[in-house]
Amino acid sequence: MGLWDSFLNWLRSLFFKQEMELSLIGLQNAGKTSLVNAVATGGYSEDMIPTVGFNMRKVTKGNVTIKLWDLGGQRRFRTMWERYCRGVSAILYVVDAADRDSVPIAKSELHDLLKKPSLAGIPLLVLGNKIDKSEALSKQALVDQLGLDSITDREVCCYMISCKESINIDVVIDWLIKHSKSVR
Amino acid sequence: MAQPLVKKDDDRDDEMDFSPFYGIEKGAVLQEARVFNDPQLDPRRCSQVITKLLYLLNQGESFTKVEATEVFFAVTKLFQSKDVGLRRMVYLMIKDLSPSADEVIIVTSSLMKDMNSRTDMYRANAIRVLCRITDGTLLTQIERYLKQAIVDKNPVVASAALVSGIHLLQTNPEIVKRWSNEVQEAVQSRAALVQFHALGLLHQIRQNDRLAVSKLVTSLTRGSVRSPLAQCLLIRYTSQVIRESGMNNQTGERPFYDYLDGCLRHKAEMVIFEAARAITELNGVTARELTPAITVLQLFLSSSKPVLRFAAVRTLNKVAMTHPLAVTNCNIDMESLISDQNRSIATLAITTLLKTGNESSVDRLMKQITNFMSDIADEFKIVVVEAIRSLCLKFPLKYRSLMNFLSNILREEGGFDYKKAIVDSIVILIRDIPDAKESGLLHLCEFIEDCEFTYLSTQILHFLGNEGPKTSDPSKYIRYIYNRVILENATVRAAAVSTLAKFGAMVDSLKPRIFVLLKRCLFDNDDEVRDRATLYLNTLGGDGTVVETDSEAKEFLFGSFDVPLGNMETSLKNYEPSEEPFDINAVPKEVKSQPLAEKKAPGKKPTGLGAPPSAPTSAADAYEKTLLSIPEFASFGKLFKSSAPVELTEAETEYAVTVIKHIFSNHVVFQYNCTNTIPEQLLENVIVVVDSSEAEEFAEVASKPLRSLPYDTPGQTYVAFEKPEGVTAVGKFSNVLRFIVKEVDPSTGEAEDDGVEDEYQLEDLEVVAADYILKVGVSNFRNAWESMGPDCERVDEYGLGPRENLAEAVNAVINLLGLQPCEGTEVVPNNSRSHTCLLSGVYIGNVKVLVRLSVGIDAQKEVAMKLAVRSEDESVSEAIHEIVASG
Repeated sequence: MGLWDSFLNWLRSLFFKQEMELSLIGLQNAGKTSLVNAVATGGYSEDMIPTVGFNMRKVTKGNVTIKLWDLGGQRRFRTMWERYCRGVSAILYVVDAADRDSVPIAKSELHDLLKKPSLAGIPLLVLGNKIDKSEALSKQALVDQLGLDSITDREVCCYMISCKESINIDVVIDWLIKHSKSVR
Repeated sequence: MAQPLVKKDDDRDDEMDFSPFYGIEKGAVLQEARVFNDPQLDPRRCSQVITKLLYLLNQGESFTKVEATEVFFAVTKLFQSKDVGLRRMVYLMIKDLSPSADEVIIVTSSLMKDMNSRTDMYRANAIRVLCRITDGTLLTQIERYLKQAIVDKNPVVASAALVSGIHLLQTNPEIVKRWSNEVQEAVQSRAALVQFHALGLLHQIRQNDRLAVSKLVTSLTRGSVRSPLAQCLLIRYTSQVIRESGMNNQTGERPFYDYLDGCLRHKAEMVIFEAARAITELNGVTARELTPAITVLQLFLSSSKPVLRFAAVRTLNKVAMTHPLAVTNCNIDMESLISDQNRSIATLAITTLLKTGNESSVDRLMKQITNFMSDIADEFKIVVVEAIRSLCLKFPLKYRSLMNFLSNILREEGGFDYKKAIVDSIVILIRDIPDAKESGLLHLCEFIEDCEFTYLSTQILHFLGNEGPKTSDPSKYIRYIYNRVILENATVRAAAVSTLAKFGAMVDSLKPRIFVLLKRCLFDNDDEVRDRATLYLNTLGGDGTVVETDSEAKEFLFGSFDVPLGNMETSLKNYEPSEEPFDINAVPKEVKSQPLAEKKAPGKKPTGLGAPPSAPTSAADAYEKTLLSIPEFASFGKLFKSSAPVELTEAETEYAVTVIKHIFSNHVVFQYNCTNTIPEQLLENVIVVVDSSEAEEFAEVASKPLRSLPYDTPGQTYVAFEKPEGVTAVGKFSNVLRFIVKEVDPSTGEAEDDGVEDEYQLEDLEVVAADYILKVGVSNFRNAWESMGPDCERVDEYGLGPRENLAEAVNAVINLLGLQPCEGTEVVPNNSRSHTCLLSGVYIGNVKVLVRLSVGIDAQKEVAMKLAVRSEDESVSEAIHEIVASG
């Protein structure tokens, strides 16, 4: 370890530079833009404005450059999600695990989206956000209520995270890096 | 100004071969647009594709909804690139593609981010695009940023925000108006373009507040506007303020004139020109005010820049129409412009010179023009021809050289409009300058020897027929005319036959020879030509079968055809072959002035009137038909006149009623057109109860109620009055609409059985003297006036009291009399102190009336009028005076 190792890492990153493209979707106020900030800088802000349209962010983790399409979650943008999910390495679906009423809508929107033929086979990572709140669902409950078991045509993974407390953000990044290699 | 345009097109055609856009095709470009989705973007390549797409869009290529959506979303993915050039293309693409509102919103967040970016170019362009796609609610969110941008220290950003403000003012005025302070700050900006845009926006914000605009101009004209563009704008606003305030202080100094005068010494040429133009366009500009402006324009005339020469000569050309004397100083400079390389400049110079030139310079000018005519396009040639025509009327002594010029250019190549302008000019000169007649006619004869336009040939032949026989040696024209019979197409041959006949009728010495020629035409292979020849042979042959006397023959050949052709056609179509011959006097003479006012109810409901089988071509015909088909009115005889519909209700009331006054010789019929605008009501037994107590000479004889008047289906009810024959009875009638109203169930459309009787007050209706006068124009007022003779002339003078101007006085009299103004004399030139207006018409009883109306206005705006009336009947002349005296 030490200098030599980091030098080797740097060399490797020059030659084995990876790139991946991700779409970040989910209902409004699920915490998508917060997740982008958490992944990119580790920061968190209470006071966020709704995303009108999309934000495009590029984040470099190790030797992987991640292009993030952070899409607005309001109803008027949902029909346009599919256009920004085509051809991505993975779809990240963020759910507010503490807002139990919204979970059924989140479920139907998710399943509607996955039915699109253009998105067949793209890995799906479902993230239950806001587990710092006491009323948040458990992972199993979320998987059940979103009906994730019924999705068989692609790789599906689910993590429970908190952008506010930075819980499990590193796990998410690891998952992403792993998939950047498998896809390209 | 078509010539430079044409040139430009030529240039573009030439370039086409080397154009980088050559052969761009939509389908291929749309395929190429897939590179936008590549994981590894190539900004250069993407920019090229967008360029092609923009090219297609600007060429008017339309994208289907699917194509546009597809391209739009692909383009939005390019926001990931940090390439400045590409981002710029993305902005353009979003703006030009202008996708639907629900899609374009997807770029809002990205644009808002760019709007606050540190890159100036991003900020400026993002503002422009965002303002283009934004709606009111979003605008309030970004308003803060826009206000900041207006006062941004980068001029590009500030301009972008200001221009966006100008656009947004159309859709969200209340928001933009809140930016006044920032905009005012931007007006003081050092950057030229920012100042320009800020001034434009500030003016638009205040444009509806005259006082505020005046204040703005007052404060800015004191200096502080540095940018020449803004200065030009300010000059325009200033002249607007001058226009609006000019009325109040006619005396003394014109406000702001000093400012305009000062701008003439500005260092920027555009400001000088703008100021000079503003001065020349001042309302009622005086010679003293004009002089400095003309001086600077004169300097521009010899500028090395074509655009300055053009601007100057164009402005001087306009000034020459109103103040020819002021422009004469520039004549020498202008003459050198005749040989200017730019043809637009040369043409304008020529026409200006023609307007300002004096008698001595005419010959020299004509020489120069001759060299120049072949180089210019037809449109300009027409302008020149018209200028020469007016010059010739101004200097009749010079007709010889001008007529020669016209005949020379008549022989050269040219299109129909050009040739027509020349022929018209020659005809006008022949008519107005007696000396020019013989040579002019010969020029025209030579022209028809080789004329490719049938229309012109027939027109000239007709004219020749009227004028030729009155010349000293009519026989010399016969050869030209008969040549037409031999050489031309059927239309021209027929016209030539008519012309020959006219010569035969007028010139006895030629008659036998004409007969020989006409007889030859009997074997023509065209029906019309043969028919005409036969007709004329019989008319002139004098065996008494067709016409009895010589004068009748002449009347037949030369008399003006005073029946409108449209009416004649309808009458002929309606004529059924029978024992009774077609009577041309029965054709209505009123010119159709407006389309049929009310639509006949579509045949869903029986209205009691059989709808006419075909759409009538003239309102008068339709009225007559409809009225005579009603048994009560069938005996009234011929309809003399129908008035335009008069509204008896306010707009937007429950029931809309208009009335049309039909005048017969002994009767008056009021036709009430009623419309029920309440969906829940059905009206039955609709009738108008007319109180004629204030119209003593009228007695009600019949009325025809309307059985049923459903919602939104117009119907008519009539009331007829008897009146003394030949008297222009006038009076006031008050009207009440009476009906039975039944409730209607809007869902089923069925009416209840029981109705309630109700009344609805209508406005009063007047029968006025003008109702007895038909508007019938005459083509040549002077001839008509002379032929009417002074026997039945009545002249009197009237004081019309104070009026705003002469135009108002003249219009008032025309409306009072209901006569047709002739020869465009109803137009009173601005600020003129006296005017003569010629009116003609037909009084009830088919009496022709001509009126010569002279008015003058004095300094106290008192209008005096002299009215000379001639008619075929003395009493009618008296009656016209009575109308005026009582009106």
